[in-house]
Amino acid sequence: MNRTVLIIGLVIVAAIVFVLFAGLGKDPQHIDSPLIGRDAPRFTLKAVGTGEMIDIESLRGKPVILNFWATWCGPCYEEHPTLVANARNLPNVQFVGVVFNDEEDKIMRFLAERGTAYPTLLDANGKTAIAYGVGGVPETFFINPAGKIVAKFEGPLSTEALQANLAKALR
Amino acid sequence: MIATLFLLALLQIKVPDAAQIVGQPQGMPIAGAQLERRAMEISAELRCPVCQGLAIGDSPSLMASNMKAQVRELLERGYTEPQILSYFEKSYGQFVLLKPKFQGVNALVWVLPILVLAIGVALVVSKAKKLEAAPVQAMETKPDPDDDPYLKQVRDLVEKS
Repeated sequence: MNRTVLIIGLVIVAAIVFVLFAGLGKDPQHIDSPLIGRDAPRFTLKAVGTGEMIDIESLRGKPVILNFWATWCGPCYEEHPTLVANARNLPNVQFVGVVFNDEEDKIMRFLAERGTAYPTLLDANGKTAIAYGVGGVPETFFINPAGKIVAKFEGPLSTEALQANLAKALR
Repeated sequence: MIATLFLLALLQIKVPDAAQIVGQPQGMPIAGAQLERRAMEISAELRCPVCQGLAIGDSPSLMASNMKAQVRELLERGYTEPQILSYFEKSYGQFVLLKPKFQGVNALVWVLPILVLAIGVALVVSKAKKLEAAPVQAMETKPDPDDDPYLKQVRDLVEKS
């Protein structure tokens, strides 16, 4: 009997230890997006400032870097110069910003002060963000020329992370 | 003129539609008190992605408000509860469901507590049976006092004194 109890106890402890070790080193906030490998949800939104309507489908044919952000998001301030600099250096890649839960005048002021190199679209009711499974901003989606989402990056992008994920969209 | 241009711009705006993700509504559109009740029930089943374990129905965050508004709109359009849950699951993954589905690794969440409880009950029952049997066994296998070395030692000492 004591031996049986010992074996059952060891099996339970081993299973718990295995699960805990498997989770070590992983970001508990990170969840793999079910959108990876699927077509990017289609939307047409108005660009802040120009008023131009941009349809995500019309961007097929080249890789797209779709960045969700907001002026009330601290890390978005940190990330913005990286996105602008890379957008200027990578003319064959279409960068698109989508701002949600925000106001147009605040976005205009942000862009006027910090510069921009690509269209920024307003997702007034957050529906586009929901369709993309956006939790917290910033979040960036990498879409290949065929219109499929190949990667999602959570948090402020560095140039290294941007290039590593962009490489997936170019394969 | 400005109002017309604004209206035209609004008409052109297209957000990703649920039909793209879960197809056409499979139920009947609802409204009024029934809509409010169903929206609350479904909102209690969806996790707020920016909160710590809160349902969107209990969260004051903007993201949760947007998701609640989306639940209401889908119900108004005739989407069923499984379709609405599937709509959010296809964007956020199973993480968004507060009740995990009985499939894959998630099945362990349902199976393990029952399994552990069953093992616990089996151990307790088995131990109780042994304890019940123990006094009988003790009587049956009562040791012979003459075989006890300590008793023998005591007897020797008493005899010597």
